[in-house]
Amino acid sequence: MTTTMAHETARDSLEALALDALDADERIAVLAHVSGCPICQQEMVSLQATTAQLTYGVQPVPMPAGQRDRIRARLLGRVVAERTHPAEVHPSASSVILVPNPGTAKHASRHWLESPASWIAMAASLVAVVSLATLYQVTAERDSIKRTYQYVPSQVDSLRAALGDRDRMIANLLGPQVAVVTLTSDGVRAPSARMFWDQSVNQWTFVAHNLPAPKTGRTYQLWLVTAKDKISAGTFSPDPRGDAVVRATYVLPKGALAAVAVTEEPAAGSAQPTTTPVILGTSASR
Amino acid sequence: MPVDDAVLIRRMTEGDEQALAAFYDRWNSLVHAVVLRILRQRDIVEDVVEEVFWQAWRQANRYVASRGSVQTWLLTIARSRALDRARATKRLREEPLEVESADALVQLAENDASMDAEFAERRVIVVAALADLPPEQREALELGYYSGLSQSEIAERTGQPLGTIKTRMRLAMQKLKGRLQILREDAR
Repeated sequence: MTTTMAHETARDSLEALALDALDADERIAVLAHVSGCPICQQEMVSLQATTAQLTYGVQPVPMPAGQRDRIRARLLGRVVAERTHPAEVHPSASSVILVPNPGTAKHASRHWLESPASWIAMAASLVAVVSLATLYQVTAERDSIKRTYQYVPSQVDSLRAALGDRDRMIANLLGPQVAVVTLTSDGVRAPSARMFWDQSVNQWTFVAHNLPAPKTGRTYQLWLVTAKDKISAGTFSPDPRGDAVVRATYVLPKGALAAVAVTEEPAAGSAQPTTTPVILGTSASR
Repeated sequence: MPVDDAVLIRRMTEGDEQALAAFYDRWNSLVHAVVLRILRQRDIVEDVVEEVFWQAWRQANRYVASRGSVQTWLLTIARSRALDRARATKRLREEPLEVESADALVQLAENDASMDAEFAERRVIVVAALADLPPEQREALELGYYSGLSQSEIAERTGQPLGTIKTRMRLAMQKLKGRLQILREDAR
């Protein structure tokens, strides 16, 4: 990673950065400069405000009525399905922001690459465990939703959407460019968790077990820790069994992840962690 | 009576699906337009439009009014999701946009007549600002912003040196920054 890009060079690239038009390597180098340059940060705020306005340049195009109504029915069906079968994740934790994808960054963990045997063994067991668990979860969810909505055609679409979502999740867990961070704790109930980072699409999937319920008025908050920042990946509450799944989309430069942590925070979440991590895992790629 | 976006967002954060329905009814044609402009293929647009509104529903509590209008927030989500899909599927915008049917054009006219006044005003300003750019600068900017191409991809596409594309894009953005300043202040 280039961290010594000259200010003038970086400054000349800010417009392209705001348009998300830099190639991956250059984008990382410019971002590295911007992260430590207040002048460029201020300019980026202004340029990003400009790019946000450009969507208004698009000519409105109505959807065909059938398509429009189909999407509407599916959206409302998903709301009902979520209520009937509450997701493991609090709504606010479904994903984080939405920095444009830099493309095809390949951030395979150095640790795993240096230990192919471990990689193969772990990948095989991971595939088996996750596949079985996910298959069971998908099957149970599908059957339950089918029973509930078998006479409501419009809500069958919600089932299709839920299954599609699960398919994407499986891909994010099992893809060839997935790095895994294991989180541990000394707590009495021995919470455990894993973070799966699908680096091909910048999709993060956090799976936790045995987490105690947060105190009243508090919630858990997931953090991606880099050398300079602690980035919130959303708040969540575990189900009564202590299980939780959080999915997020976030672009992180190669090798930037130092650790993944979960802290207990006020219900609205915090800008930065305010408590000691309940559970913590260090990235093997550092 | 016009729908108040802020009220809809608040109701969405409270789990009111009727607010989601109203929000969708209000903005679906614009979101559809942004997604279609980027993907240019109707067969994959439907999924992306649905995901845009689903994300808006689940992240309504993250909307911060001081950072901009609800429209800007939603359309930014639409662009991001469309570019994600385009890059994931590598189905990048090579095909021409399908010609609208007569019915769609009639509906478009009706929609325009009832279009939110604020959106219409913003659209006029943005379109005018884009039209005032030299054609080569506008091309570089549009290929980057609406088509999601990187500068090197734009250079390859247009047959121009990379340095030329960088310069065109930078000049275009600086001009737009000045022209669209009024919109940024309005949004606050």
